[in-house]
Amino acid sequence: MRNESKEDIKPSTASERVFAVKVDDLTVAYNYKPVLWDIDLEIPEGVLMAIVGPNGAGKSTLIKSILGILKPIAGSVTIYGKPYEKQRRLVAYVPQKGSVDWDFPTTALDVVMMGTYGSLGWIKRPGQKEKKASLEALEKVGMLPFKNRQISQLSGGQQQRIFLARALVQNASIYFMDEPFQGVDATTEIAIINILKELRRAGKTVIVVHHDLQTVPEYFDWVTFLNVKKIATGPVKDIFNDDNLTKTYGINYQVSIQE
Amino acid sequence: MNSAQLEIQIIASLVAIACAIPGTFLVLRKMAMISDAISHAILPGIVIGFFITQDLNSPVLILLAALTGIITVVLVEYIQKTGLVKEDTAIGLVFPALFSIGVIMIAKNANDVHLDVDAVLLGELAFAPFDRLLIGGTDVGPKSLWVVGSILLITITLLILFFKELKVSTFDKGLTASLGFSPAVIHYGLMSVSSVTTVGAFDAVGAILVVALMIAPAASAYLLTTDLKKMLILAISFGVFSAIFGYWVAHCLDASIAGSITTILGVVFLLVYLFAPSKGIIAVMYREKQQRTEVSLLTFLLHLKNHDEVEERHVNHLYEHINWQKVRAKSVLDLAQKNNMIHMDNQVVSLTKKGDEFTSKAINYIITNEDAQIEDMKDDFFLFRG
Repeated sequence: MRNESKEDIKPSTASERVFAVKVDDLTVAYNYKPVLWDIDLEIPEGVLMAIVGPNGAGKSTLIKSILGILKPIAGSVTIYGKPYEKQRRLVAYVPQKGSVDWDFPTTALDVVMMGTYGSLGWIKRPGQKEKKASLEALEKVGMLPFKNRQISQLSGGQQQRIFLARALVQNASIYFMDEPFQGVDATTEIAIINILKELRRAGKTVIVVHHDLQTVPEYFDWVTFLNVKKIATGPVKDIFNDDNLTKTYGINYQVSIQE
Repeated sequence: MNSAQLEIQIIASLVAIACAIPGTFLVLRKMAMISDAISHAILPGIVIGFFITQDLNSPVLILLAALTGIITVVLVEYIQKTGLVKEDTAIGLVFPALFSIGVIMIAKNANDVHLDVDAVLLGELAFAPFDRLLIGGTDVGPKSLWVVGSILLITITLLILFFKELKVSTFDKGLTASLGFSPAVIHYGLMSVSSVTTVGAFDAVGAILVVALMIAPAASAYLLTTDLKKMLILAISFGVFSAIFGYWVAHCLDASIAGSITTILGVVFLLVYLFAPSKGIIAVMYREKQQRTEVSLLTFLLHLKNHDEVEERHVNHLYEHINWQKVRAKSVLDLAQKNNMIHMDNQVVSLTKKGDEFTSKAINYIITNEDAQIEDMKDDFFLFRG
């Protein structure tokens, strides 16, 4: 790993328990209508976590508030013990695929290069080093042959892989992904989850807004149930049960979990 | 060509470049209408500035007008944020209100000065060379040339410095914010540049042409390229071409320069809209027709592949059974034959080896939807592209 400088930013985990992400009393409202209500959440380092909950539960809002894209009306968020503004370079974000205009005149490689802009800062332009890192990220997601393709000429699954490559190039410690499996084919879904598992093996923390409850036990080792309030959070094997599903999704929610 | 004519063309070209740059980003951000709003709403700013300075080219006036432009954007966003009306409605509410305040101010106070509604709407490009800038008694050129030139210089400098930030925030606001670039700062920066450019171009070409120069070249360029830098260069080229060509049209017809330039901009867009190689209407129609034929071809080939019986493969049966009109059936037969995919033996059609392989490959692709398998066929068949 070439991110030695980043190791300095992380406080030692030996003396006291420092969470990768810690959310305290977070309340977010749109026009004074709370969408997230008093959320306390501690995400340990090195987990692959799903955030699940019904539509309108505030899953995307939670991620956006952690990343400072939305301003909460109360509460605080820390990344490895410090405010997000100081830890930006430890964090990568994959927004929902539908949040951007794919007709934008640019190529796959160029979109991946955008991931390097954060470490460059204002004004400075990406050079050979950034290009090389971006090509490597494209290779990792199997999209190198498409590097010069205009982004509207890519399939939904390929677009999602480009977004993933853009996050990989940020070489972060914590990855936030907003529904990365939405509208992708089965092959891409497997390719993405394998990369996420690889990230976890490398000690990274991965947080995913997820819709498909069936695949939670197979893909993730940590889960947070959310419906405006936090229902439960913890290891999948301990808390992914009908009780929490019912509390989150309403009365008598049934899900058949294949072992 | 005398020096006044040359000066007019230079001013018009500089205005075109200065407009095309922010215009490209406005088009990509789907904010074309905001340039219309700004161009009208800056009128009260211009009028107040004119009362203070008595000079249409004063920097104070430009700053005041640009400020009104920003106020317009803020007001539109504020009204929109209440959720009571949509953005286009908010724009439609704000700019006529501000514009009409300007109109009343002109009518009440400025009847006797060189500022009337006609000039505001259409500009006075023809008179631009007469208003000279004198430095220490020396004539250094038309004032508006200096004004527009300075604005262009600032715009280009900002574009070069912040190209990366403009690009990423136009494409993906969420990512931009998470990377630590404030999308709001970039947004208002772009709005400020748009306002200042509008004001600077206003005197030369008027409120209507400013909008045309911002939007039309960028919209034309958008249809021709998939690269942001090329889009900027194309937009600038279209703007400059229309400015110069429009000037000469006006010269020959003895018509309004602003009107002629705007007309040329419209014609350029129309031509691009019709003839753009991949996004133009004609290309799209051709592609659709080609796709229809290719779907028919594949249907036909698949039928042949699925049926070994001679009677199922007889030409007459094909006409009746597949239920195509003779013309269509014939064109499909011809296409298949031309590509050596079938051979005919006594009115009985059968697949060649090539045709058989093609059919299996195509069907396999349609079922699995895996791009890698189809790459080599894409060049020959529209069916498998996008």
